[in-house]
Amino acid sequence: MSNFSVGFRQHDGVQILDLHGELDAHTAPELEAALQQCLQNGHYNILINGRDLDYISSAGLGVFMAYIEEIREKGGDLKIAELKPGVYNVFDLLGFPLLFDILPSETEALERFARGERPALPSS
Amino acid sequence: MIRNVTIPSLQQTEMLLQQRRTRLFLLLPFFGTGYILSVVFHLLTWKSGTPPSTWVRLFYYDGLMLITYGALWLLLWGETHQRGTSPTRTFWSLTVASLLFLGLGYLVLRIGRPSGDLALSAPVTGFAYETGVPLTWAAVVQMNVLALLEALLAFWLLLQLRGLVLFKRTRQSERSWRWMLITMAGSALLVDLLQPGEFVLALLLSLPVGLMLRNAFRVAWILYLTFRQKLLNLGLTVLATGALSGTLAFTSGPAHEYVWHYSPALSSFVNLSLAFGILYLVTSFLSLLFHLPTTGAFQRKVDELAALHALMQMVSQVFDVERLTETIVRLPVEAGVAQAAWLALPDFQTTFRPRIVAAYNLPEGQTPEALVDVEALYQEVATRRQFLLLEQALTDHRVRARPEHGIGSLLVVPLIARNELLGVLFVTREVAYGFEQDDIEAISVFATQAALALDNARLLSERLEKERLARELAIARDVQRRLLPQQLPRLPGLQIVASSVPAQEVGGDYYDLLQLDDHRLAFIVADVAGKGTSAAFYMAELQGIFRALSPLNPDPVVFLTQANQALFETLERKAFISAVYGVFDVAKGMVTLARAGHPPPILLRPHAPPRLLRLQGLGLGLDRGELFRRTLQPCTLSLQAGDRLLLYTDGLIESRNDRGEAFGYDRLLQTLEAHARDTAVSLHRHLLEALAQFTGHPAYDDDLTLVIFQWQEVPMLQEARDRQDMQAQTAGASASTAQPSQPSKQAP
Repeated sequence: MSNFSVGFRQHDGVQILDLHGELDAHTAPELEAALQQCLQNGHYNILINGRDLDYISSAGLGVFMAYIEEIREKGGDLKIAELKPGVYNVFDLLGFPLLFDILPSETEALERFARGERPALPSS
Repeated sequence: MIRNVTIPSLQQTEMLLQQRRTRLFLLLPFFGTGYILSVVFHLLTWKSGTPPSTWVRLFYYDGLMLITYGALWLLLWGETHQRGTSPTRTFWSLTVASLLFLGLGYLVLRIGRPSGDLALSAPVTGFAYETGVPLTWAAVVQMNVLALLEALLAFWLLLQLRGLVLFKRTRQSERSWRWMLITMAGSALLVDLLQPGEFVLALLLSLPVGLMLRNAFRVAWILYLTFRQKLLNLGLTVLATGALSGTLAFTSGPAHEYVWHYSPALSSFVNLSLAFGILYLVTSFLSLLFHLPTTGAFQRKVDELAALHALMQMVSQVFDVERLTETIVRLPVEAGVAQAAWLALPDFQTTFRPRIVAAYNLPEGQTPEALVDVEALYQEVATRRQFLLLEQALTDHRVRARPEHGIGSLLVVPLIARNELLGVLFVTREVAYGFEQDDIEAISVFATQAALALDNARLLSERLEKERLARELAIARDVQRRLLPQQLPRLPGLQIVASSVPAQEVGGDYYDLLQLDDHRLAFIVADVAGKGTSAAFYMAELQGIFRALSPLNPDPVVFLTQANQALFETLERKAFISAVYGVFDVAKGMVTLARAGHPPPILLRPHAPPRLLRLQGLGLGLDRGELFRRTLQPCTLSLQAGDRLLLYTDGLIESRNDRGEAFGYDRLLQTLEAHARDTAVSLHRHLLEALAQFTGHPAYDDDLTLVIFQWQEVPMLQEARDRQDMQAQTAGASASTAQPSQPSKQAP
């Protein structure tokens, strides 16, 4: 039924989530559960890889908003990489690039994690 | 073939005879006439002093007797067949009828005798020895009256016992009863015809006697009597047996010759009936005696059945899960199959572990958890899906009870409905080895019913919950519908077309228009992330903010910043709102707007390609304030005649066709170019048509809101503006506002 799935990887202490399919109001709880699991396991450096993400709706964006504050409070960050242009536009429309590190490649994102960098403008 | 024809006709006759009026109307004349004719027959025989010829007797008299007493049987049958069966009443009425008959018979025998000659043992001499012709008028009266009385008693007896013999009737018992009556009547008639010797008679009687024996053992009614009723009936059978034996002695002794001369067949039939009555009473007596000790066990069985029945009724009556669980643990104890009972249901909300929801009759101060390891036993039964019987409960490691708690044996039964384990019922007995096979069966049946009831109750509550949600959704839908403008404001020079279609029952799209004064109009188009009821409430909040704040300070930056501040506190963390807000000033022919994370508005000028106004701006509720304000990029446009401003929500560009392609900006801009010269109304229509054509279905995946403003400069305003310009010129001020200018800020 659901054409959305989350894959888990780890690299240098960064928890990488590979998103596949379409993230909308129906599938958003799956991403929420995945993020919840990361937090429960104490992984606060989270990288979302959107290479295979075909679509995102506003409800899907909401999931990132719901967790970013908690993640940053714990000293970690949530970065997003390799978004398709169509998906990036949705992020961009709402102004997400101002709030999150949205990077063209996973390597760059990992480097930023390694340097401990966060978006220049704090979200709150 | 013959059966097919005769049986319905028999049933029809039966149905006809069940109506009392037709019965009396049909049968009484037969019986009355036949009886009077028989009296006349005997009077004539007495007068003539010679017996009738054999042929007359066989074809006239015996035929008459058959019809007369057949009618009498049917009359009595009609009066008794609908009564309920009560052994006590049957035995009592038999005793009374027999005693009444004995009394009446004794009086009848005295007719025409001298008062001193009362000894009944004296040989009856009322008939000629050789021919059997009555010698006196008294003998004629006596034989007629006695025959009627005996027939009445015998028929009454058979009809009374019929109810008991046919208790819990089956086809077989009905057939055997019917055949007994037929063979009794048949052999009685043959006795009359053949005047047989003793051997033939014995042979002839073996068939009815065999059937009589068989029917005499149909005493199933005994099972349903209580101990007291059994004792009472024991006495009554003794009494009735005595009365019937006396009657049999009377009919085959002093009264025998009278009735025999009247009709040998009737006399034999009466004696056979009495013999059957005595036989039945004797077997009843013995059965009652032997069943006395089993009364308690049977009573318990009946109680169990009654308890089960109570639960089955509960299934249709109790839909409250809590009350139902209380009943489920109470009934086995009340039915006497258990000492204590408790019920564990899985806790679906939180832990999924079994939770005790009800308990009944536990040892003082104890909880089920203190008595047994509920979870371990639950898990075992859940895996086996079969009951678990601990015959010596105290020896099991999962039982924590001590001997003084009175838990000798423990039975754990799964409650399964629709192949799903709903819970587990625990029942205990004080003694070890306390559950017999039939107890286990009764409790298992009970558990099945209980599971069914629980399942029903749960389904019902789910349905109620669904209905409640549907009602709430309907309210939200109604609220949402009323949040959208019911009437569009009218300002000179500005034409407005607007539509909003929610994708589901409740959407998150919102647009509104508010006339600030005679020349200014504030507008907002917004999309709340997510759908459903909460989106509708955020919409309502946004409407409040829009209607309250924009008259105070309609500047887009000020308004959106304040709206963001207000919303940031109340929105859920994962919720946000995208919006475009702006103000038209028809007096100046200008519009000022800003975008907060919303799809860019489109400016469509008559002789230019459509232009997306990609202004910077974060969605409402994403940031507390500073960043939001800093990124906000307002834009002011000077309007030219024919300018159209399109505002829409992402439903327009993200609506997808069956191949999963989104409508997208390219298609949107192409459609706009193709209809670049259309009016707002026709543009609106064409856009929606193009979208429907693209998606191939009329329903939208997302909410879809589309608002189009068209600017048509009116001469009056032009004049007013010219006058203003002149005033300005005379005042020496610059005249820049009249010039059609480029948007002050514009994203690429």
